[in-house]
Parts: sequence; C-alpha cells; structure tokens
Amino acid sequence: MGRKLNNVLGAVTLALMVVALWMIFAWVPTEAEQGIVQRIFYFHVPCAWVAFAAFAIVAVAGVFYLWLGGQIWDDLGYAAAEIGMLFCTLMLLTGSLWAKPIWGTWWTWDSRLTTSFVLWLLYGGYLLMRAMLEESGQVARFAAVVGIVAALDVPVVIVSVRLWRTIHPAVLVTRQGGHGLQDPRMVVTLLVSITAFTLMFAWLLMLRLAILRTRTRLDEIARAIAIAEFRAGRA
Amino acid sequence: MSAFAAILSKDLRLELRSGVSTIAMVALAMLVLVVLVFALNPGVARGPEAAAGALWIALVFAGMLGASRALMAESENECIRALLISPVDRATLYAAKLAASAIFMLVALGAGAILTVLFFNLEFSGALVRLAPILILGVIGFAALATLLAAISGRARGGELLLPLLVVPMFVPALIAGVRASTAALSAAPMATARDWIGILVAFDVLFVTAGYLLFEHVIGQE
Amino acid sequence: MDNFGYLFAAYSAIFAAIFLYVVFIWNRQSRLDDELRALEAKLDTLTVPPQGESGPQSGKSL
Repeated sequence: MGRKLNNVLGAVTLALMVVALWMIFAWVPTEAEQGIVQRIFYFHVPCAWVAFAAFAIVAVAGVFYLWLGGQIWDDLGYAAAEIGMLFCTLMLLTGSLWAKPIWGTWWTWDSRLTTSFVLWLLYGGYLLMRAMLEESGQVARFAAVVGIVAALDVPVVIVSVRLWRTIHPAVLVTRQGGHGLQDPRMVVTLLVSITAFTLMFAWLLMLRLAILRTRTRLDEIARAIAIAEFRAGRA
Repeated sequence: MSAFAAILSKDLRLELRSGVSTIAMVALAMLVLVVLVFALNPGVARGPEAAAGALWIALVFAGMLGASRALMAESENECIRALLISPVDRATLYAAKLAASAIFMLVALGAGAILTVLFFNLEFSGALVRLAPILILGVIGFAALATLLAAISGRARGGELLLPLLVVPMFVPALIAGVRASTAALSAAPMATARDWIGILVAFDVLFVTAGYLLFEHVIGQE
Repeated sequence: MDNFGYLFAAYSAIFAAIFLYVVFIWNRQSRLDDELRALEAKLDTLTVPPQGESGPQSGKSL
C-alpha cells in the first residue's frame, strides 16, 4: 500500500477515533449498575477483537507462506503478531482496570480472562521464538508453523476453559453471560469503536509492513552494491 | 518392515540398551511429586484432585525432557543427516519420534502414577486402570506438540527455555481436561462425568497429531 | 464520578501505548529511509560509468 494511501487511512482512522471518543464520553448513556467505569468496555472489547483477528492473520499468513513462499507473507505474519501482542496486552490491562472497581479484584480466572491470558502467552512464545531464531535462515518457516499450531489451539482453549469455569465457577465472582447492552446507543457506540480500532489496526499493520519491506529493499541494494564494487575492482 | 516401525524400534532398542532417558524422566517425575508434597501442607497434598494435578505437572516436565532428548538423540554422529538423506518420509519420521516419546513418557508416568497414589493417600483399587487411558491420551497430545516444537527450539541457543514457553500455553486445554478426567479416575467417580473432558482430550490429540504430521517437514532438516 | 481514576487510567494507557508504538515505528522508518537513500545514491555512482579522468574506460555497463 503506497505511503499516500496509508496516510489517508491514518487520517480516516483518526477522524473515526475522535467520533468514537465523543460517542463514548458525551453521547452514550451511563450504564445503570456499573457507573462510568463501564465505559472502559467500549475500548476493551475492540482491543480483544483486534487481538484475536491479528492472531488469525498470523496463522493465515503462515499458511500462505508455507504454501506459496514469498517474504511478504512472513512479513505480514510478523507485523500482525507484533501489533496483536500490543492489543492483547492492552486488552488484559483494560480488563484488569475494569475488573478492580467492579469485582474488587485485579484478576480472576473467569473464562474470558483466562482465554485472553493464554492468547497472550501464545503471542509471547511466537515473538520470543522469532527473536531467538532470527539468525537462522529458517525463521520464517518456523514462525509459520508456530503461528498455525497456536491458532489451531485457540478454539480448543476457548472450549476447555469455558467448560472448566462452568463446572468450577470462580469462588469470588461470577460473570454474567454477555455484555447485556440495554440501550441501542451502546450497541452503536461499540460498533463505531470496533470499526475505528479495525481501521487503526490496518493502518498500524501497513506502517509496520513498510518497515519490513524497506529492510528487504536495503538488503537487496546492499547486495547490488557489493556486486558492483566487486566488478569495479576487477575493471 | 515399514519405515515407521524401523525408526521406532531403533529408538526403543537404543533406549533399552542405555535407559538414560527413561531413568531421567522417571527421576524427574518423582522429584516433581516430592517437591509438591513438601511444598503443600499435608492437609492439601492429599486426595484425587491434588493427586491429579501433581501427576500432570510431572507429565509436563518429564515430557519436556523426553521430547528434546528424542530429537537430540539424532544429533550425535550427525545421524539426523543420514535419516534425512534416506527416503524416509518426514511425516513418518514425525510419527516414529512421537511414538517413541510417548512410550518413554508413559513408562515414566506409570511409575509416577504409582507414586502419586502412595504419596497422596489414595486407593489403588482400579484407579490406575481407569487412569491409564487418560494418561495415554494426554501423553500423545503432549508428544505431538513437543516433537514438532522441539525441532524448532532445538535450533536456538537457549532452546531449552524456548520449548516449555511454546509447549505449555498450547498444552493448556489438554492439561485442563486431563486433570479433571484424572481426578474422576482417581476418585472412583463414574467415568461418565469425565466424558466431556475425555472428548476434549481426543479432539486435542487428533488435531495436533494431524497438524504435526502435516507440518513436520517444514521444521526438520532445512539447512 | 467514583471510579473515574480507573476509567482515566485505562484510556490513557491505550492512547499512550498506541502513540508510543507509532512514534517508534515512525522513527525506525525515517532512519531506514535515510539509509536507503544513501545506499541508492552509492549504487548509482557505482553503476554509472565514470566520466573523464579516471583512466582507461572499461566501457562495461553493469
């Protein structure tokens, strides 16, 4: 995606983000039970959405890399993993900041938080593996495999954790199913926020990809220079 | 003799001769149990729930050891190159390594299970028989993940740290399911209560053995 | 307005994190762009056959 186009995307993202913020703080009504702190929800859920979507992208990019080759797929996977990790961390952080005033505890092993935490660990493993194996020429293949296996794991994690927490509900807190949004304005706000975050994710992804592509280009040029100098030396 | 059987029997015979891996795994399993017994108060470290948890912790740690050794065994004398040059299909190699790891893990866990029943004040009456299929499912799932991922982590300096970091989060569903199913087995509860958990274990195994089988060629021997 | 602190902390954290990430990427991109321009210039000087004084012309183009 060209730089100009990405800048447009960035501008649209910013605009939509401003709209979302206005809706969150000025338009949507306060939730009856939880008070104003419930508004964290309108950013917390989009973070979760991006974190899971990014993970799916990592896996799909991995499949395409193994199937078609092409550095672009590996770059896409790496960029998506990095940004996904960012939003996964933010999801856990905002979740915790929301939990404390509502449930009185910073952390609890309810099914959603537990699954999110496992996702975070999977991301961490992926990124650490990439860091440790960077010198190996095979890091792209390895990353593709790890990304695919981890993504296959996520549904099983969700099922098993949910079953676990249903049979052994948390001693301290039980979370009501769903996010019971009573007012349609809440739904609209959430959707706008999710859209804004999705656009931001795409924008960040393009930015990060650009760096990886530039680096590849740098390597190409450095090689071309080395060849040119070699030939000039012989002339 | 099929390639699978050939590689598997080679690994088993090697192990039978030296026994180093299996002894190490048995020892590790026992040590994990001992640590838990001393770390938890006697009031806590008893009964089927604690026992099941302890046994699966032993499974994870012993399995980690077994998986890296199963692959590292080939690096002596560069056997891995010989294996790769031979017309053995990578997927078959995976299956054989997985089977070997699983068998070693089961031996170690067999000993571990007996110790668990003793340490955690349980009854033997049929508990081990009910436990066996659950442990087998768990071991297969673990070996499926670990064999695939050990091929990757083995390439990194400090890969011994990387392997658990990759395997443990991925193993979580099987761990959750396995411990609950094991609790039922150890407490002589009707196994019907553990049906869902066993279902998850089976699905886990099918999923990751298949995934490993298909993906192993991408992680082995690309120099 | 109870619990406003948590709300504020949550949103600040999100914006701070994203802002820092963007800054980090932007800087890296600028540095890489500069490096790229320098290398491209260097490659140009090597591939354009030298004019004038520098001895026998090889006449070879790269």
